[in-house]
Amino acid sequence: MKYNNYDLIVVGTGFASTFFLKKYLEKSNSPKKILVLDRGHLFPHAERLKLKKGEHSDFSQKEEPWEDAIINENKAKRWPFTLGFGGCSNCWWGCTPRFMPSDFKMNSLFGIEKDWPLDYDDLDPYYYEAEELMSISGPEDTPFPRKGKYPLPPHTFTAVDKILNQTYGNKYISQPSARASRATKGRNACFASSTCDICPVNAKFTVENSEIGVYENEQIELVFGAQVYSLETAGSQIKKVLYVKDGKDFEIAGEVIVLGANPIFNSNILLNAGDSNLFTGKGFGEQLGMQVLIYLDNMKNTGGSTWVNANGYMLYDGEHRKDYAACLIETNNAPYYIRLERGKWLNMASFRMLFEDLPLDENFIKPSANKLIPRVSFTKRSDYTMKGIANMKKKLPGILSCLPVEQLKYLEPFPNEGHIIGGTRMGQTAADSVVDKNMIHHQYRNLFVLGAGSFTTFSASNPTLTLAALSLYSADHSF
Amino acid sequence: MKRRTFFILAGISTGLLILPPALYISAPPLRKFAIQIIQKELHYLKLEPSGVEKYVDDYFNSSVNDMLVNLRWKTFYYLKISPNQSARVFELIKYYLLSSDFFIHKTDESRTINYLGLYNPYKSPIPNPYSFQIYPPERPSA
Repeated sequence: MKYNNYDLIVVGTGFASTFFLKKYLEKSNSPKKILVLDRGHLFPHAERLKLKKGEHSDFSQKEEPWEDAIINENKAKRWPFTLGFGGCSNCWWGCTPRFMPSDFKMNSLFGIEKDWPLDYDDLDPYYYEAEELMSISGPEDTPFPRKGKYPLPPHTFTAVDKILNQTYGNKYISQPSARASRATKGRNACFASSTCDICPVNAKFTVENSEIGVYENEQIELVFGAQVYSLETAGSQIKKVLYVKDGKDFEIAGEVIVLGANPIFNSNILLNAGDSNLFTGKGFGEQLGMQVLIYLDNMKNTGGSTWVNANGYMLYDGEHRKDYAACLIETNNAPYYIRLERGKWLNMASFRMLFEDLPLDENFIKPSANKLIPRVSFTKRSDYTMKGIANMKKKLPGILSCLPVEQLKYLEPFPNEGHIIGGTRMGQTAADSVVDKNMIHHQYRNLFVLGAGSFTTFSASNPTLTLAALSLYSADHSF
Repeated sequence: MKRRTFFILAGISTGLLILPPALYISAPPLRKFAIQIIQKELHYLKLEPSGVEKYVDDYFNSSVNDMLVNLRWKTFYYLKISPNQSARVFELIKYYLLSSDFFIHKTDESRTINYLGLYNPYKSPIPNPYSFQIYPPERPSA
């Protein structure tokens, strides 16, 4: 390390940390000593592509499988994530719808769980900023309040999308997406390839291709291979960050500490540090996703220009959320669902139905005997979510009556959604949450805990844009 | 499961237990059964024969290929399992089509279907049969 004491220490280099740093650097009016600790390494996109093509890469040893990084008590439930520079920006799918205003007011509107300590209007300017930084492609008319054009034009509708958009207007839109519809800074245009986790044409926003000038800033000292596992506390302050590098224990002092690892590790670090907040590690989970195959009579579903081509909100908002979960429809435009009947090869649409879940105490993260490896205990889906699935099956045939549907086939829920949420929820006081609306820990007032772990409720929408906007909001309101 | 199907399955399973593994492996390869399944299911298409054989070789070389897999595929063939009855048969045929130029030529049944190489979204020339690359949006007339 260059110094013994830093103005700011940030853990992780994923979305949460990167967008926080972006705003922090903008607001800083004097030179700062900033240390960023990443447990992994830089594994460049070009090298990841080599592995996908079956070629040799000298970086192949740099990847740490997620299965080795946690103790997953429920093997049927999976929690894929990427460790190393850029975190899950390497493996995300690039889906960036905003949350709906109602997502922030689940208690006052529906009597469910708690309201967030901030609302849609508070986040609105930061949504715009995050969308600009990620050069989001999207439509002008959206179901959530938004004015003007997205930075890039929307993706092209499929034949099915066109009919549903004509029928439902802004409740069925081209999905706002970080998969570029046109070539843009640092990225190519999406090719509608059949995979997104490592984009074959580098069209998806990642921290590596972001060109937002964070890690190139000379004030930042970025250290790889440094796995943070705990914090040294003193009253209402964090004094030091404890980490392991090359098998040895180290500690480093900082004035302000930012946890920007994923929710599993943020919780583990806090619990290892002796955080006694009753909600730390609790209410962990993610949305539930399941696929519906729509067999079409004499209609090809062709022409889409990206994988998740559209979003449907017909089952999202409304009084039903008093009783059961919102559902966001993602329409998939990928080759894995085709038909083998003669002449009907492409007469198929496939929807991924995303259901919100609730932060249940039965699902939690706790430390294990190994300080570096958290234990993940996920045992239960809420009845609220399961009722949402039942309602969807009842309503979907009517919703799709504008299409020539032969039959619907419901597949089993996926074992993961890639949307890890909870464990450090946001709220008014320590009596109902871990962090405040600026994502500062209620007890440790120089500690930020960022990311989707802070979500008060889960929403049915993809979390990344919202967690990026929250990081911008937090830094803007705190410095 | 139908009673007759059960007896056939039970018989094949018993055979596997009785046959020494070495003898079983030296039996006619499972690949010819997979080729026959593809040819039978897609009988109305003009499949370039050597391409089907190469695809089946590549398909099984890239996946787990042990005695139990062999048995499963023989079972599929003898029981006349269709793609609707078996996800594995469905996958075999689906990936054959995705690995060919069938979708690139807009599912034209009059053309000979050529194998291009085992489907891989990172290598295939146009990896998505639904894509705007094959079905571009209609442009408004000037």
